[in-house]
Amino acid sequence: MTPSALFLQQVINGLSLGAMYSLLALGFTLVYGILELINFSHFNVFMVGSFIAMWVLQFFGLSGQQVILTGWPLLGVLGAALLITMLATGLLGVGIERFSLRPLRNVPGPVAMITTIGISYILFNVILLTVGAETKNFPNPLPMVKWHVGGAVVELREVLIWAISLVLMLLLQFFVQRSRLGKAMRATAQDPEAARMMGVEVDRVVITAFFLGSALAGAGGMFFGLYYNFTSFLIGYTAGLRAFTAAVLGGIGSVPGAMVGGVMIGLIESLSGQYIAVRWSDVIIFSILVLILVFRPAGLFGRLAPTKS
Amino acid sequence: MDTLAEPRQTDTPPPGSSSRRRAAEAAGTVAVFAFAMLFPVLIQNQADIDSAANALSYALLALGLNIVVGFAGLLDLGYAAFFAIGAYAYGILSSWQLTPPWSASWQPLASLGLVARVMQGNAAVVHFTFSFWLMLPLSGLIAAGFGVLFGAPTLRLKGDYLAIVTLGFGEIVPIVVRNWSSLTNGAAGLNGVAAPMLFGHSFGIDATPYYYVGVGLTVLLIFVSIRLRDSRIGRAWMAIREDEVAAHAMGIDRTRTKLLAFAVGAGFAGMTGTYYVAKLQTATPDMFNFNVSVMILVMVVLGGLGSVWGVVVGAMLLQLLQSWFLPDLTGWIHALGRAVGSAGLQSVQLAQASELIFGIILVTMMLYRRDGLIPARRRTPALSLAQQHAEVRRGGITGLGALGAAAAVPGGPLLEIHGITKRFGGLVALKSVDLALTEGDILAVIGPNGSGKSTLFNVITGLSKPDDGGIVFAGRDITGLAAHLVTRAGVARTFQNIRLFPELTVLENVLVGEHCRLRTGPLRAVLRTPGTRREEREAREWAAEVLGIFGNRLLPRLSQPVRELSYANRRRVEIARAIASRPRLLLLDEPTAGMNPAETLELAEQIGSLNRLGLSILLIEHKLDVVTQLAGKVVVLDHGEKIAEGSPREVRQNEQVLRAYLGRSTQVA
Repeated sequence: MTPSALFLQQVINGLSLGAMYSLLALGFTLVYGILELINFSHFNVFMVGSFIAMWVLQFFGLSGQQVILTGWPLLGVLGAALLITMLATGLLGVGIERFSLRPLRNVPGPVAMITTIGISYILFNVILLTVGAETKNFPNPLPMVKWHVGGAVVELREVLIWAISLVLMLLLQFFVQRSRLGKAMRATAQDPEAARMMGVEVDRVVITAFFLGSALAGAGGMFFGLYYNFTSFLIGYTAGLRAFTAAVLGGIGSVPGAMVGGVMIGLIESLSGQYIAVRWSDVIIFSILVLILVFRPAGLFGRLAPTKS
Repeated sequence: MDTLAEPRQTDTPPPGSSSRRRAAEAAGTVAVFAFAMLFPVLIQNQADIDSAANALSYALLALGLNIVVGFAGLLDLGYAAFFAIGAYAYGILSSWQLTPPWSASWQPLASLGLVARVMQGNAAVVHFTFSFWLMLPLSGLIAAGFGVLFGAPTLRLKGDYLAIVTLGFGEIVPIVVRNWSSLTNGAAGLNGVAAPMLFGHSFGIDATPYYYVGVGLTVLLIFVSIRLRDSRIGRAWMAIREDEVAAHAMGIDRTRTKLLAFAVGAGFAGMTGTYYVAKLQTATPDMFNFNVSVMILVMVVLGGLGSVWGVVVGAMLLQLLQSWFLPDLTGWIHALGRAVGSAGLQSVQLAQASELIFGIILVTMMLYRRDGLIPARRRTPALSLAQQHAEVRRGGITGLGALGAAAAVPGGPLLEIHGITKRFGGLVALKSVDLALTEGDILAVIGPNGSGKSTLFNVITGLSKPDDGGIVFAGRDITGLAAHLVTRAGVARTFQNIRLFPELTVLENVLVGEHCRLRTGPLRAVLRTPGTRREEREAREWAAEVLGIFGNRLLPRLSQPVRELSYANRRRVEIARAIASRPRLLLLDEPTAGMNPAETLELAEQIGSLNRLGLSILLIEHKLDVVTQLAGKVVVLDHGEKIAEGSPREVRQNEQVLRAYLGRSTQVA
């Protein structure tokens, strides 16, 4: 491969990673924007999502690397798997909020954050103990269609991941900006107290944020499986941390910021892996996290999250 | 001098109960220590002694994390990084990992016994032979140094951001360790770390001597933790945990105090790392990953955040769970499985479930028992009926000569503000405000809500920086000075919406107010030198003196957490806390808000008495009778501008003032 083709290839890889991180980062941003809570359980909601997607695809008879379905049936199955996964992780997120976080909503200090670490641990270990520690093959139902662009290769699944991610993010942006509930969310993020006095049902807003964020994480989990052809109980932690970095980079609390931040982190990961060394990628990403938090806590595009007094 | 002084001893709680409790505590400590010393003799089983020694190293880590999370309220999710740093510091300096070629410049270290000249093939190389006993404190210092390095840029972040940054560092350190093979031997890990030597005997692989070193370290770190907790330093940590802004305004240097907590916690972890590696004689990067940080956090949460004995118990319990209880239980279940012929039961491996159990413990404790198994703070007994219904006595001011104001020269200029402007985005909160306060006076600032009064206070006390203008206090320019330095210069304040440290007692709140007048540093706090003892005793006497201003309103409640106090009493504690810092200028932000007429009158008299002792006061107040009674001069703010200034009577008749209060379009009848 020529140097420019190599670069282009890493950009393509980075965009696919970035799509996943963006989807995941949106969940951090939605919850943080409203509750000022770093939700560590989100890491493993994503991981659970990839398992649910795997199970659903297996339920439809898809497993391994064989292309069994094509055309509309394939799209139908993929769509169903995506919807079921998003619904399931969305409900998981709502359950986490309802039973472990709502009772702690107004408790000061790091209590709620510690709780989310506990939840994350529980999810992680439930999957580990029930599914096992070994890596699982994720079904690869898509036909191997490739395009050559300037010496680099773009695969059908990558295009699919970009397209669906973009659609989901646009839908989210539309929802937050235009719908009644979205308006309530933005109001609550600005000032929960005032929003409640104006008749916003804060509980509903919080549940919506958890549902949407977790559903997007589920979609991200499914894309992870499709992209890497495997899933494992371990995938939540690194992906989660990178996605969180993405949310911070874009400006935590900001929906477009999370999207852009995710893509940037994806590009940084793939390019630094190519031109520096894969083993230093995480050090670079976490150094960015630290630097951004220290020097520009509002992120590149973000507003400062409203501070609770 | 006011004639309000009265004896107060009758209100202090009976001393018997606390000394009896102390005796019981001492007896308990001795019993636990005796058991710990006899344990290896009683058990006689190397594997169990080894588990106990491991448990002790986790107890040490929990004690360190407790200082950071429990005392100072800083959630550190990368704590294991410091454990790793301490471990590798000893591991590298006492193994064959690094063997630079020998040169004469190593000779001084060789004569100290820190390195040895060794022939490898036919080349002379340096072999590091740092002693375990030297490295124990040294690793603590190295890790503390890294704590400062990591902490310095990050500690000004809000709590939840700090958690994520520490998590990032916690990731970076093991990755660096794994990738920097020349220094650390990478993923394979350090090997052949020297065992400690004592009187010429190597500890070898016998678990018992390690166990006793572990006990010794645990006793040491418990001692250090308790000494720090009960000192000026510990109070500052807890004040920051409870309300960082208020702590800052009370004269606590936030960054330094937080950094100290971070460094001490890191130091504990560094020492533990050395101990752990000496015992294991190997170190791999995986020993220090995120799971370790979480496990230590679970121990601290289980035992009780901020509870020294609690976290030790928490660490012991979890270690017992992992190394004894779960394997035993697995064995029993397998036996049951064999008895009933169930293959499912025989394949159960509970040891794998330990992390699941950690998660469940974390969530359960947070939801149902946030104080942990052994809460840091015991319930204070409720006041007796007699105490509650004791006749309300006016306080007296007897020894307040120690106020900074005592040195004041009445009549000179104390506070001069020139053209202060403060903007929030497009909103101008203060527009070129001038103000002057003569030493010994009471100056009242009034104005409708939102006129910029509290912003003015924040700008004077350094909580927010003015965009323009200057502030001179006692001849010194204090514009833009950090809040704790303004307090040290002699300006103390209260807040409109009461910002006390709710979990701290009345006495502790007032002692925090004295923070900037006390000197004790961490080392002296641990050693509790005679000077520190005297300082602490005097601080308590001064606190009692200050609280005496309010008669028996507060003195019987010295050891009650302030969140249990009535609204008016909380206001009084806040004033006492401000006065405790021996200010020359006291800023009171609506001190009588929410008080009934009798209480208002009482407080107004007390403020007047303080002023007659020489204390200058800047007062924000809505109750105009209080203003009239106290203030010689009144300044009126409206929409951030000074619209009038003069005696209370003049201001009352000022047309502009009336319009500001009654509305612009309304003609005053």
